[in-house]
Amino acid sequence: MARIANRTTALTALAVAGALALSACGGGGGSPAAKGEDKPVDSLKFYNDKGGWKEAFVQVGAASKKDIGVGMEPVGYSDSNAYTAFVRSSFRTKEKADLFSWHTGKELEDLVDQKLVAETTDQWTKAVADGNIPEQLKQYFTFDGKQYCVPLNAGYWVMYYNKAVFKKAGITATPKTWTELLAVADKVKAAGVKPFYQTNILFSFVWFETLLAGKDPDLYDALAAGKAKYTDPGVVEVMNDWKKMLDAGLFSDPGSKTEPQAQLKSGDVAMINFGTWFSGNLNTLKMKAGTDYDFFVIPNVNPALPKTSMIFETGPVCSAAQSDHASTVTKWTDWWVTPQAQTAWANSRGDLSFNPKAEVKDPGLATLNKDVGGDGYRLINRWFEATPVPVATKALEVFGAFVTKPGDPMPGLQKIQDEADKYWAKQK
Amino acid sequence: MTSTVQSPVRRTSKPQWPVRNAQGARTGSRVAPLFGLPATGIVALLLYLPFLWTTYISFTEYNGLGSPIWVGLTNYKAMFSDPDLVGALTNTLLWVVGMVTLPVVLGLLVAVLTYGHRWGTWLRLPFLLPYAISGVAVGVIWGFVLQPDGALGQALGFFGLPGASTGWLQAGPGNTLMMIVAVTWQAAGVNALLFVVGLQSIPAEPLEAARLDGAEGFRLFRYHLWPQLRPITTVVIGLSIVGSLKTFDVVWVMTQGGPGTSSETLALSMYKETFVLNDYGQGAAIALFLSLVTFAASVLYLRYQLADGDTR
Repeated sequence: MARIANRTTALTALAVAGALALSACGGGGGSPAAKGEDKPVDSLKFYNDKGGWKEAFVQVGAASKKDIGVGMEPVGYSDSNAYTAFVRSSFRTKEKADLFSWHTGKELEDLVDQKLVAETTDQWTKAVADGNIPEQLKQYFTFDGKQYCVPLNAGYWVMYYNKAVFKKAGITATPKTWTELLAVADKVKAAGVKPFYQTNILFSFVWFETLLAGKDPDLYDALAAGKAKYTDPGVVEVMNDWKKMLDAGLFSDPGSKTEPQAQLKSGDVAMINFGTWFSGNLNTLKMKAGTDYDFFVIPNVNPALPKTSMIFETGPVCSAAQSDHASTVTKWTDWWVTPQAQTAWANSRGDLSFNPKAEVKDPGLATLNKDVGGDGYRLINRWFEATPVPVATKALEVFGAFVTKPGDPMPGLQKIQDEADKYWAKQK
Repeated sequence: MTSTVQSPVRRTSKPQWPVRNAQGARTGSRVAPLFGLPATGIVALLLYLPFLWTTYISFTEYNGLGSPIWVGLTNYKAMFSDPDLVGALTNTLLWVVGMVTLPVVLGLLVAVLTYGHRWGTWLRLPFLLPYAISGVAVGVIWGFVLQPDGALGQALGFFGLPGASTGWLQAGPGNTLMMIVAVTWQAAGVNALLFVVGLQSIPAEPLEAARLDGAEGFRLFRYHLWPQLRPITTVVIGLSIVGSLKTFDVVWVMTQGGPGTSSETLALSMYKETFVLNDYGQGAAIALFLSLVTFAASVLYLRYQLADGDTR
């Protein structure tokens, strides 16, 4: 009996010790190692939600290994929600991500507020002084006067079009005004092709964004900042303009499961309003820029506006505060913003770069990059980043329902505004 | 030295626990439960602790970063006052009703009509094969079938039938009903298989006696087969209730709960609140509510069915 009792005690002690050890694994970690001891390494893992860009990241990783002796190994997620949950939960563990992609706006602010991302003010100061990052990008990465993360990419939203479809419809010149754009759409429709692409999930905001930014960019900015309402007459007017276009049959089936690039390639739709990263998607389908497809700047809806509204997006590449490999991360991100790194990056996917000195091979993109830096454009933060997450999610539901079954926009706009009221009330 | 011959242990229908040695002392009674410790520990760590954590989080405002803030019943109040979540609850109930009728009735029909048939196995095969496909794949396939210019629309157009350009997934509650049809396509086969197992367990003699008495066709089914299929029907319906309450994969793949929130289910709302809106507190509240409903539905249904069966 005594032996059994002893064995029981021993087993119980073992179980308790095991449980304690396991519970310790979930803690925040108070050991010096968890506080960011710097251990230089040869390669960094780059967690990202751009699983489809793996090939381009691998090429860039090889380039960095060659240039500075530090490689980069992408760990790509294809599902953005799963990725976001992974990154958020990773901050509760001792494994701090050396490099990870994220979003600007409220998503980045959340991490900064909790002091979870490494500050990059010094790197920004140098990169702006060297002309490697345009000054105007700084605002998207600045919180309380300090910078966090560096840009991963930059893109402008333009209208891609299928050249063969335009030719078939007898269109010889790209539109320079909104009236011309609608005339082009009518010609395409007459040729039996749906003029514009649309969807009722995720990118359902695109046409709302385009119409509002092209009609009243001040209202657009005010709406993003919670200083205007989704029920304001200007917004209602934009929704009604959108409805007129929907009723006129200018859009593709919003419920289609076929990828937009495939729809453009097959000629099922003539035009797609997307960021310049879409060139990479088209290139992977073996479509050739300038031959099979091209793009043009979307003209303002309101011709009286002094500047052309250009939707702009940028995403950050961040490092967790207290990364164990802080010096290597700094070395790599310093390299990342240089012209040679950005030339490698831009051409790996056939995309633009945030660095104006990068040598972009695609002549159309290179010209756009140069032009947009001039005075004729007003850069407008993409709606997805500019709008707080709960408001954007509600709005995406409303826009999705609206493009599927266009009707009176007011009930939907009221729903979005109710969500916006809830959100902004919490911020004050 | 005398040798004692122990009488063989009499085998009884019930296992003897705890085991006693020749002296009548209980052996292993203290040690044996310890063998269950690792499994208990793993279950506690992976199931009960997360459950308790989720319960706690449901009473807080928490975005996954920093510390949760206690807000009491706020998330629960929000859940029942949000029209979208009420819509999700309605859709979930629609799924429960749909899944305990369509696949169950179809499965029963397939089983009864093919049971005892010379080619029964082969006739059931087309119904059973879709069960080998994952829910996500079912969603993808039916998504292509039901989109406006999809296979169904094209087929209707080809035969000159109306509805060729119907947006099957584009308005509620029609989109939910169409998705129930899609899942029926997959689930009917396994229900048929379970009903066949039930039919095989019915003794042949009473059926022969019933046939001799002139019972055939529907009368034979109604008064002889159906009552004896009750245990397996309980299992099939119980599984259907639990499965339909947690419907997620097919809806996520086919409509992502849209357009708008027209086809959202509670499981989808839970996912959206947690992983899209990062409102972990609200998501946990929905998760807990869904778990309680599923648990209550299962217990009430099974208790009712099994208690009823015991009195027979």
